[in-house]
Amino acid sequence: MRSLARHPMIRISCQQASRLLSQQQDEPLALVKRLRLRLHLMYCDACTNVSRQFVALRLALQRFRDRD
Amino acid sequence: MPVSTIDFPALAEHRPYLMKVARLQLRDEHLAEDCVSDVLTQAYEKRASFRGDSSLRTWLTTILKNRIVDLLRKQWREQPLEQPNDDGGDDPIDRLFDTSGHYAQMPSEVSDPAELCQQDGFLAAVQRCVDMLPKRVGQVFVLREVFGTDTKDICKDLSLTTSNVWVQLYRARMLLRTCLERGGFGHAQPR
Repeated sequence: MRSLARHPMIRISCQQASRLLSQQQDEPLALVKRLRLRLHLMYCDACTNVSRQFVALRLALQRFRDRD
Repeated sequence: MPVSTIDFPALAEHRPYLMKVARLQLRDEHLAEDCVSDVLTQAYEKRASFRGDSSLRTWLTTILKNRIVDLLRKQWREQPLEQPNDDGGDDPIDRLFDTSGHYAQMPSEVSDPAELCQQDGFLAAVQRCVDMLPKRVGQVFVLREVFGTDTKDICKDLSLTTSNVWVQLYRARMLLRTCLERGGFGHAQPR
């Protein structure tokens, strides 16, 4: 699975993965994009961290709105 | 809350909340005050149309959102568009990556996003960083994240293309995470 993830036909860069991570917060990704992103996250700690940072951002803005 | 009890004081109780949101969205104290006063006046005039199946706050938020969209449309019409960074070398977001598209610096780990957002210090940092975003990028981001507006509606409301909205939101998130990295993204900074 990991070597498949790094296959040149499938592999995406962190820059591409980050764009998809952002897009994913706004609407469901098409299957192929979702798959490529998931495979990228299997081996990439940097983008895994960014993914959680994006989640934190979303939650932070919600909390900003909802707390008094 | 039954319609009969919506008087002006009941509406004005929500003023601090509306101001907080309007300030983040408009970045102008006077404009925010005018905007919120308009919203409260409008809400009072339309109070008969409040159905009570949503909370009063939710109803007011919808009115605020519509008012803000009007204001943004007007602002965007009057001010020329910020030039996108198409000169290649000078985009702060492109510089986060090396030539092969990998992160030049390891992004900080966030072990528990939900827990992190309970920290007032982190929330204050997020707010500061949102205020530092390029104006339009910030406006699109707040419309999306604070009002929870669908990207499709943002496109319609502000006459933007879908890909343009995605780019703006991507820029917002990347600039915000870079800004927050300066404080270790919530990790106490060693002094």
